[in-house]
Amino acid sequence: MRNRFIDTLIAAGEGRDDLIFLSGDAGLGVFDGLRRDAPGSFVNMGVAEQNMAGFAAGLAMTGHKVVMYNIIPFLLYRCYEQVRNDICYQGLPVIMAGIGSGITYAPQGMSHYSIEDLGIAATMPNLAVISPCDATEARAAAEYALSADQPVYVRLAKRGEQAIHTSAVTDISTPLKICSGSDCALLFHGSIAEEVMAAAALLEEDGISVMLISVPMVQPLNEDALVDMLGPVRLVVTVEEHYEHSGLGSSLLWVKSEADPGWRLKTAGIPRQFIHEVYDCKGLRRLFGLDAVQLARKVKGWLADE
Amino acid sequence: MSELATAEFARMIRREIVELAHRSGGPHVGSALSCADILATLYGEILRFDPWEERDIFILSKAHAATALYAALAVKGIITPELLAGYCKNGGKLPAHLDRLSAPGIECSAGSLGHGFNVGLGMAFGFKRKGSAQRVFALVGDGETQEGSIWEGALFAPQHGLDNFTAIMDYNNLQGYGRPREICSFEPVIAKWESFGWQVAAVDGHDHQALAAAIAGPTAGKPRMIVAGTVKGKGVSFMEDQLIWHYYIVTDEIRERAMQELA
Repeated sequence: MRNRFIDTLIAAGEGRDDLIFLSGDAGLGVFDGLRRDAPGSFVNMGVAEQNMAGFAAGLAMTGHKVVMYNIIPFLLYRCYEQVRNDICYQGLPVIMAGIGSGITYAPQGMSHYSIEDLGIAATMPNLAVISPCDATEARAAAEYALSADQPVYVRLAKRGEQAIHTSAVTDISTPLKICSGSDCALLFHGSIAEEVMAAAALLEEDGISVMLISVPMVQPLNEDALVDMLGPVRLVVTVEEHYEHSGLGSSLLWVKSEADPGWRLKTAGIPRQFIHEVYDCKGLRRLFGLDAVQLARKVKGWLADE
Repeated sequence: MSELATAEFARMIRREIVELAHRSGGPHVGSALSCADILATLYGEILRFDPWEERDIFILSKAHAATALYAALAVKGIITPELLAGYCKNGGKLPAHLDRLSAPGIECSAGSLGHGFNVGLGMAFGFKRKGSAQRVFALVGDGETQEGSIWEGALFAPQHGLDNFTAIMDYNNLQGYGRPREICSFEPVIAKWESFGWQVAAVDGHDHQALAAAIAGPTAGKPRMIVAGTVKGKGVSFMEDQLIWHYYIVTDEIRERAMQELA
């Protein structure tokens, strides 16, 4: 999904003088074509994240559409105050492309994971946050970000994600129903989609009817559309490769407290702990009960509780 | 603007700084007074504002001296007296630190140190990329140059030959809790910045002619750092070079005494 996102932006940049890409010495190979064909549209800012974020703001203030690229901790955490004060507080339409959502980079270690980024992004009220689940959503996210007049943070995994959508996504700003179902709804964002799809298949085998909803735009959340979509389901489950107390799950708790719908809410995500365990991404998902088999088991248990 | 006029401009800035500090009960009077001559020189003699869309940019990176900028903008007629009257007032527009969206002429939101400098580099790069002749000036505090972001930018700017960017250091030799050399010295300051690839000049930061000559001087394809030696609290004798005037507030009596000196 990363390449689809970046390539969509680069293609849009042809014939557009204002678009410029900044990389924090990351993305080996991703920008080779751009550097060859339009060297003036790419700057490697070096390993200096604070300067990159402040610089991006300044460039945007001269009328440039800036794409800031890095792995998420170096895009959002290291330079949080620059993102907050220089980009968001000043209301600048910078595109922040973050790579390595959740535990994509396992077993690189905690420094390289991004399991709290949505909580951090939530502290910046004008920041649009998109977490695409596949390459199709990544393309739509790029198109949205290009035309946005506010800062946009796009949370990307890396490559090889399962295709969830079979046709183009026209409106990335609203929850997207993947399939209808009546017993429960599984809500997800990002690359955990593959586990959710597999879990839904297991549940269907057991005669449980599952509604699947991708929620690419996590912030601002189109709450009305979501509540409408959920309709009469009894159980709503959020699944995310993120801390469950500061991501989509907690946003749904907010929605539930406001809308007072008929459904129960359960959250599946990463528990409140730093990750010291050494596993690859699949292994960590199993450790945290986020693999398809355990997800299906949990959902059955929650349905049986009723 | 002639030397006399610049001196008068600086005096008006200083009087307004004291007034604003008195009215708001806010701190940082010494920090604002130390850069009054730099702002008077920039706004009086250096910055180009016509046409406004293609103006030079001044960024007050040491935004705790915001009263000096508000005063300069007011004297220059860029912000209205009504806006200035709302400084730090409930329902007013101008906060103690800078909000770009609050008023014309506030080119960059700032308040946390080590931000405006880097935003300014981005603007300088952007102007060059667009083929614009607009220049960027950023005023940093001496203590501010202890920020890591400053040195990230110091490394970066010469790489791209940002000779349309000029940093001016308000070297008043007093930061929040003491003298820089006693806390985290950045000396030898000239050799450091030169070694990073900057064109460096040292100047008396209260000498308008010297300041104007240094700032208007030629650039050699490099970003510039002008180290302006200043005195914290300059212009009010009992505030000069006194650490407490980073924080103390201006009472009725202090205001009276200060205004007599600035008459």
